[in-house]
Amino acid sequence: MEAAVEVRGLTRYFGELLAVDHVWFDVPRGSVFGFLGPNGAGKTTTLRMIYGVLRPDDGDAVVLGRSVRREPREVRRLLGVMPEDAGIYPRLTAEENLIYFGKLRGMEEGELRERVRDLLSRLGLEEKRHVLGDRLSRGMKVKLSFARAILHEPPVLLLDEPTAGVDVMSAREIRSMIRKYAEGGRTVVISTHNMWEVERLCDGVAVINRGKIVFSGEIGELQRLTGEREFEEVFVRLVRQEVIET
Amino acid sequence: MVRVTRGLGLLGYSVPARPWLVVAWKEIVEALRDRRTITTTILMPMVLMPIAMVLPVFMISPRAAPPRVVVVPWESPPGLIEELASAGDIRVEVAPPPENVTRLVLDEGADLVVEIPAGFTENLSAGGTGEVRIYYDPYSMRAVGAIVVVRGALASYEERIVEERLREKNLTMQYIDPVEEAEYQITRTGRAVSPGALIGAAVLPMMVALIAMTGAGTFALDMIAGERERKTIEALLTSPASRGEILAGKYLAMLLLSTISGVSTLISAVVGLYVMGTMILPSPGEVAGQLANQTSASVVASLLPEGVDPWTLLMGVGAGVVIAGLTGNAIITMTSSFAKSFKEAQQYVGGAVMVLILPMIAVPYAPRSWAPALRVVPIGSIAMMMKDLLLEPTNPAAWGLSAVSSLAYLAIFLAVSAKLFGRESVIMG
Repeated sequence: MEAAVEVRGLTRYFGELLAVDHVWFDVPRGSVFGFLGPNGAGKTTTLRMIYGVLRPDDGDAVVLGRSVRREPREVRRLLGVMPEDAGIYPRLTAEENLIYFGKLRGMEEGELRERVRDLLSRLGLEEKRHVLGDRLSRGMKVKLSFARAILHEPPVLLLDEPTAGVDVMSAREIRSMIRKYAEGGRTVVISTHNMWEVERLCDGVAVINRGKIVFSGEIGELQRLTGEREFEEVFVRLVRQEVIET
Repeated sequence: MVRVTRGLGLLGYSVPARPWLVVAWKEIVEALRDRRTITTTILMPMVLMPIAMVLPVFMISPRAAPPRVVVVPWESPPGLIEELASAGDIRVEVAPPPENVTRLVLDEGADLVVEIPAGFTENLSAGGTGEVRIYYDPYSMRAVGAIVVVRGALASYEERIVEERLREKNLTMQYIDPVEEAEYQITRTGRAVSPGALIGAAVLPMMVALIAMTGAGTFALDMIAGERERKTIEALLTSPASRGEILAGKYLAMLLLSTISGVSTLISAVVGLYVMGTMILPSPGEVAGQLANQTSASVVASLLPEGVDPWTLLMGVGAGVVIAGLTGNAIITMTSSFAKSFKEAQQYVGGAVMVLILPMIAVPYAPRSWAPALRVVPIGSIAMMMKDLLLEPTNPAAWGLSAVSSLAYLAIFLAVSAKLFGRESVIMG
């Protein structure tokens, strides 16, 4: 089956620093895919090139058949994105934050109202709908950012650290929603440091270190290759370059 | 403010799903909820400007609180004290000569003391000069204003004495006033310029250019630098809206807010001028008496330049306000694009304003020979457009050049700001 996201040699320099070095990997359709790496490895830069905030210096990515370089606007229509920073507008209420992005995505009034009501309810933000963004707790902002990403029910979701800095209960809710979202046949890419989360949510992973992909494939295959069961150990060995023939 | 603007917030559901309209809606909602910015950009100027204009005038205007003038006569020349008492705009008291006149000014609250020394009448009768002594505190603006009134009264008294003396010698006033002045206005239109147009030509260009530089001011800074500082820009750029559509929406919001700010500034300035006028000019009753035979339309027309329809002028001023507001916002957007934070953006914008404000200040006072150059200078061209509309409305070559160069600069600033807004280093910091 054609991959939902095909990353083909994406490259990015910041000055003389080669932040992302010709990365290649595929994200299977309908999967929950982990994108892992230590701090500064190039995860966020890679994701930003896929969702169009940064221009690649070389290479391309294809999202459901649409090229990021040639059809960036179409790609953004297909994607739902939860950036690393929640980016909630402080002087808009929780509800208005969702209205804004729903309207930017061309959602009509009736559909948008329904969807906003549903998401606020499912994420436990119903009572906060009229609360300004700067009065929401960090966990609420993260949940609202997730709601914003799935508001238009995109076929591909890119989540950059979706549970970072969030309390346990909120993190559980978000993970549950990620799982349910993917069950509908949609594709979810999660960039995360949380190995426990990767083990429980992800079907496959790509691991990036110092701008290069060091592994891409199923978790089971990675565990078999390293001989480790604990995913944290697997990851550490990879990053230390104690590798693994793939 | 959230409760007050809640309806506007929920209006978002009904906003047509055009990205530039959606962005404009959101910016306006956020701006109206920024109490600090609304207060400093719209409310405070509306309240403070009339106060700042009126308060100094109030403190020195004789109409508001007539200065106290104490007349200290050592003798009573016929008609002199009556002339002073009937001067108007001063409150005259007659007091017996004290030991120390200066005490009246320094300790007893007199704004002015007019002393008529002994021998005044005798000197006048002998054909000589009678001296009147005026004592005042030079640091007191009320005293300075009162001196003008007293001098006017003394001049009237002196004129009567001179007429009498000349009559005795079978002479007229023309004998001592041999030179007459006749003034003729030379304009390119061949028509005279009304006093109102002259005042407007000095004030309006600066006001409109000021609107250009302050415009939406803080709103504009917040829409670009603030969005980057709050890290909301990345989520915005993941939407299908193009950067051009996002910027167009922000400009639409800035234009609306700067127009509100500009109109409120103009209204408060007009209110201030009107109140000042009541303190300085003849009373409304006196004006009405003078204008009894004229219609209100002809009164308005008398303040306008000849040959221009008031509605045409209004549209011209409106266009000037719009161009000025957009230009200011584009400049602010451009300069704040280089800043990583709101505070840094304020510093850059402050520097830019200092430079661009110079032609604005020059326009009301510049000699005619500078006009062609000022018509093609940024911001100066907007101020010149207003001045040309008021002073040379039937000379399209004048205000047309100003308008074209203003629009050209606007297009350049908008294009540069759009280019900068698209740069990754500007967006991502």
